[in-house]
Amino acid sequence: MKLLKPSWVSHNGKPIFSVDIHPDGTKFATGGQGEDSGKVMIWNMAPVLREEDEKNENVPKMLCQMDNHLACVNCVRWSNNGLYLASGGDDKLVMVWKRAAFIGPSTVFGSSSKLANVEQWRCVTILRNHTGDVMDVAWSPHDVWLASCSVDNTIVIWNARKFPEMVTCLRGHTGLVKGLTWDPVGKYIASQADDHSLKVWRTVDWQMEANITKPFSECGGTTHVLRLSWSPDGQYLVSAHAMNNSGPTAQIVERDGWKTNMDFVGHRKAVTVVKFNPKIFKKKQKNGSSPKPSCPYCCCAVGSKDRSLSVWLTSLKRPLVVIHDLFDKSIMDISWTLTGLGMLVCSMDGTVAYLDFSLDELGDPLSEDEKNTIHQNIYGKSLAITSTEAQLSTTIIENPEMLKYQQERQNSAQANAGPGGAGPESSAPKLNSVMNGESLEDIRKNLLKKQVETRTADGRRRITPLCIAQLDTGDFSPALFNSVPILPSGSSMSSQLTNQLSSDSSPGQLRPSHDAMLTSPPANSAAKGLEDNNDGVKSSLLLTSASKIEPMKALDSRFTERSKATPGVTAAISSTAGLTPLDSRPKDALSALKDAKTKEETSSDSEDKMAAINKNLAFGKRKPELLLDGGEVVEKRKKGRPRKDKVAASIPQPFPQVTPPAEREASRVSAPPAPIAVLKLPTPSTKKAFSLQVSMEPSVFLEVENEVSVVAGSKLSQLRCSRDGRDWNTLLPSSVVTAAGSSDVLAVACEDRMLSVFSSCGRRLLPSIQLSTPVSALHCSAHFVMVLTAGATLSVWDVHKQKALVKNESLLTILSGADTSVSQSLLTQQGVPVIGLSNGKSYCFSSSLETWTLIADKGDSLVQCADFRSCLPTHDAPVSSGPLAVMQGRNLNAGRLASRLSSTPHHLQQSMTLAFLENQLASALTLQSAQEYRYWLLIYARFLVNEGSEYRLRELCKELLGPVHKSAATSWEPTTLGLRKRELLREVLPVIGENLRFQRLFTEYQDQLELLRNK
Amino acid sequence: MAKVQVLNVAVLDNPSPFGNPFQFEITFECMEDLPEDLEWKIIYVGSAESEEYDQVLDSVLVGPVPAGRHMFVFQADAPNTGLIPESDAVGVTVVLITCTYRGQEFIRIGYYVNNEYTDPELRENPPLKPDYTQLQRNILASNPRVTRFHINWEGLADKMEDSENVDPSSNISGMLPPSCIPEKMPPLGLIADNSMDFM
Repeated sequence: MKLLKPSWVSHNGKPIFSVDIHPDGTKFATGGQGEDSGKVMIWNMAPVLREEDEKNENVPKMLCQMDNHLACVNCVRWSNNGLYLASGGDDKLVMVWKRAAFIGPSTVFGSSSKLANVEQWRCVTILRNHTGDVMDVAWSPHDVWLASCSVDNTIVIWNARKFPEMVTCLRGHTGLVKGLTWDPVGKYIASQADDHSLKVWRTVDWQMEANITKPFSECGGTTHVLRLSWSPDGQYLVSAHAMNNSGPTAQIVERDGWKTNMDFVGHRKAVTVVKFNPKIFKKKQKNGSSPKPSCPYCCCAVGSKDRSLSVWLTSLKRPLVVIHDLFDKSIMDISWTLTGLGMLVCSMDGTVAYLDFSLDELGDPLSEDEKNTIHQNIYGKSLAITSTEAQLSTTIIENPEMLKYQQERQNSAQANAGPGGAGPESSAPKLNSVMNGESLEDIRKNLLKKQVETRTADGRRRITPLCIAQLDTGDFSPALFNSVPILPSGSSMSSQLTNQLSSDSSPGQLRPSHDAMLTSPPANSAAKGLEDNNDGVKSSLLLTSASKIEPMKALDSRFTERSKATPGVTAAISSTAGLTPLDSRPKDALSALKDAKTKEETSSDSEDKMAAINKNLAFGKRKPELLLDGGEVVEKRKKGRPRKDKVAASIPQPFPQVTPPAEREASRVSAPPAPIAVLKLPTPSTKKAFSLQVSMEPSVFLEVENEVSVVAGSKLSQLRCSRDGRDWNTLLPSSVVTAAGSSDVLAVACEDRMLSVFSSCGRRLLPSIQLSTPVSALHCSAHFVMVLTAGATLSVWDVHKQKALVKNESLLTILSGADTSVSQSLLTQQGVPVIGLSNGKSYCFSSSLETWTLIADKGDSLVQCADFRSCLPTHDAPVSSGPLAVMQGRNLNAGRLASRLSSTPHHLQQSMTLAFLENQLASALTLQSAQEYRYWLLIYARFLVNEGSEYRLRELCKELLGPVHKSAATSWEPTTLGLRKRELLREVLPVIGENLRFQRLFTEYQDQLELLRNK
Repeated sequence: MAKVQVLNVAVLDNPSPFGNPFQFEITFECMEDLPEDLEWKIIYVGSAESEEYDQVLDSVLVGPVPAGRHMFVFQADAPNTGLIPESDAVGVTVVLITCTYRGQEFIRIGYYVNNEYTDPELRENPPLKPDYTQLQRNILASNPRVTRFHINWEGLADKMEDSENVDPSSNISGMLPPSCIPEKMPPLGLIADNSMDFM
């Protein structure tokens, strides 16, 4: 065994928490603490392997560094195909990196000048879901999934073929989850946490398979990580920190029955990391000796907080080798080369060690074929031997219908992906040149002249930057970077370097001179000396040019301190010469703004007055002291009163699409204070004349002119209606207060509390209805008429059937609160009356239940917290506008808080979302809004499928399917809101089919539907 | 993670007479479409003694910024000489380019600027009252000092508390001349690249 500590692998002395060797063995990644962020670094393997490469200045050591993580990086892992690197850190993020091909070396602008990134790795996805530090990440065999675990006690499984899609979130740990390992066969994933448990989860249904606690009961949460590992043959799982007779061990868990009979003993402190060699070995056949069939065995490295490393062969009772004092601090991570002979170990002390083993020491590694044979013998057909095109999970599709459905899905998915876009490739960003063949150099020459500069409304300069490359999905376009390097750093160097890299990268033998050499201290001190030297040179250089060192020090702080000048820019600007346009323009803008404001003020003022007038009318009989607003209102009333008629008269006669002003005002007026016994709602004022459009298609206009003629002492009012250009008119004996209409009926309410209903052709449909109190609001919809009276009673009539649907129902029940008032009222096409209150609640009166039902509550915490965005249909149009949407507001702020409440336990949010969705369904049902019912039903189903609530799904399906055989006794209605339930089921089933876990449910109902169809 | 990475700043028209406008060609990359404009500023530090003499030479909005790589030239007039203390006119000072998003500064690029008389005569015996027409401005383009700050890019109502990360180098740099900040130390043997070119 050879041992080497490459001192140049360092994060400037900061801890290195993770190390991982690239599958092709040419490079490795480290993750840890950076200067003020987390840091991921990618290193060339060649200088580790060969001394001549280490000495050759043309062979780069560091390939790339990424400081995008905001906080310490706890784990870096290459995907099995080597295309991606995943990193997880204390910033709760998992980042997935991909190499940007075709970009030459570049410096990080402003960083240690010429330390170039030889390779460009850039973040292609940021996976956000964890609410705490991400401790470990792991790619599943064949990179189907990426798992990440966190101190938020959860494990998230990401769809690695479709980032950032989340497959599931595994919950069950009650402590910080600090390690993950996939079963090499792909059936399980195991996790170890501070809650004294190791849990094994099935990948079929993501449920817990085993919970192993006994060996961990004595453990304290003392380690930063608990990186456990699964043996390459899949037979053993070895935990990190476990205890046996109060001694620290690495517990061996057998796959067969999850037995815990064996452990690796000997470390003096907790085991932080266990890593199996990816190879299975067999005894080295000595020349001459007869080839004995020997049992294959595995090799495992164990690192501990006691700073020592042990390597074990499962064929030996004692460790193959134990290395003490390799580091100054705890070992944090171990990575084997794919050849199984090399191993990198990193430590909290910020150093890395490389171990090189010989075949004599470990044995003969089995070939991949032999390994597969072992897998096949043990597991039958395993995922490890199926091709990479294998299905996403090991679940066997059990029936042809399901298979067909899944295939259809795949096909359509492929079709969507479009030509050339296959799988992960398409999700990687891409820079597309947008320069139309113009060279960058040309562009740069004329950039200042060419760039578009405008002035914003407030007079500021605004430059539209020239887009030289678009970020797109795909890979980096070579066209851009072949021409001219954007960065001044030498591009000539790049090709050289990359050549060097590729030629030198083949993993080879370690050079002899590095045998058991721990070179770090001398190298460090030497480096330090040089640095000092540098300082000297630098300062002298500076001194020659600038003799003022003192102010330089002061200047220096300016580089790093956020300027105090920032907030007070305007002041600074005005004092600066040459900025006159800036000075003059804002003033203009300001004055314009002022104008607008005054206008607004006057308009709102007049509206206030209108409201006051109204209030006055509504409470006209009461004493002024009863008015809420006291003197001010009274005063306004005095002013307002003479204006009343003027305002009314000034409303232009032929004014299309005017909502009755009365109604608008009604909504502004607050209800009388609570102590008043008789509830009163505001009533619209009588106007001389008004007009409104009651229907668009066909277009129906209604014009009212009060007191047109006096006949025999009584004043007559005229109602004129034009429908598709044809007019009719009629006369009424009293002034019309308000009118409403639909395409079918027209209704007018008069001052004498009479309600008249006409057909759209002017035929009187009902005799005049005498109302108990004046009308507050009047609505027509289809053939329904709704009246809300000032006495706070509600009536709805079905004009066709000449029947009352709601009869003088009091609003007392819903207006019980102190300051609640009616802010909105409407009548749906189905004749369901809806009342919106000022407290954000909306009620409808259900005539079948004969009661008020709550359909929407803007302040409902469920609405705020429900998060079903992932279940929203993508292709469908957003919520069809229906009464429910109207009452809840178009921009339903459901889920708005959801992101902020990410700390809420998931199960809580899940329940809230479920409750919210069920409320929506029930509301849509009561409102008889079929489209909205269907919309929410599909979201509900999708949510149930995502969250895996089989019981509710089954109940839903059962309800929708109804009894298969007709019998007289069933009360099942085949339709709901005019929608055929079985049609709905047909829509819901594909949603269910998306989750293979419910394939039985899918099949069951699919079959029954087929059966029914054939009947 | 910062959504905007500054890839390069090229100092144009450098060195140049003191009265010429500053010109910086800025190349940056944006991870995703930005709903709001970036605001760039050039601040000229008039005197090392006090921030009082800082002059915001100009401030521009840059947008719209879709995801991708962009460049623009930021030109700003030379500082108002009336606001520079006479004793600080000649010699080394600093010009800063800052960029803010939603009112939060996330990057600060600083350059040393050396103002010198080109005429050897004047250099030997500088006039008491600085003659700005004879001064040459030389921006030390090869040694930008970049400080990045973590900001809240999402712009939610609850602003991230001021998680400013003071460049750690400032803590230890007290005794060192500016270009010798350990954190920005170039690897060994590369001193020349990083040295001053305004001599």
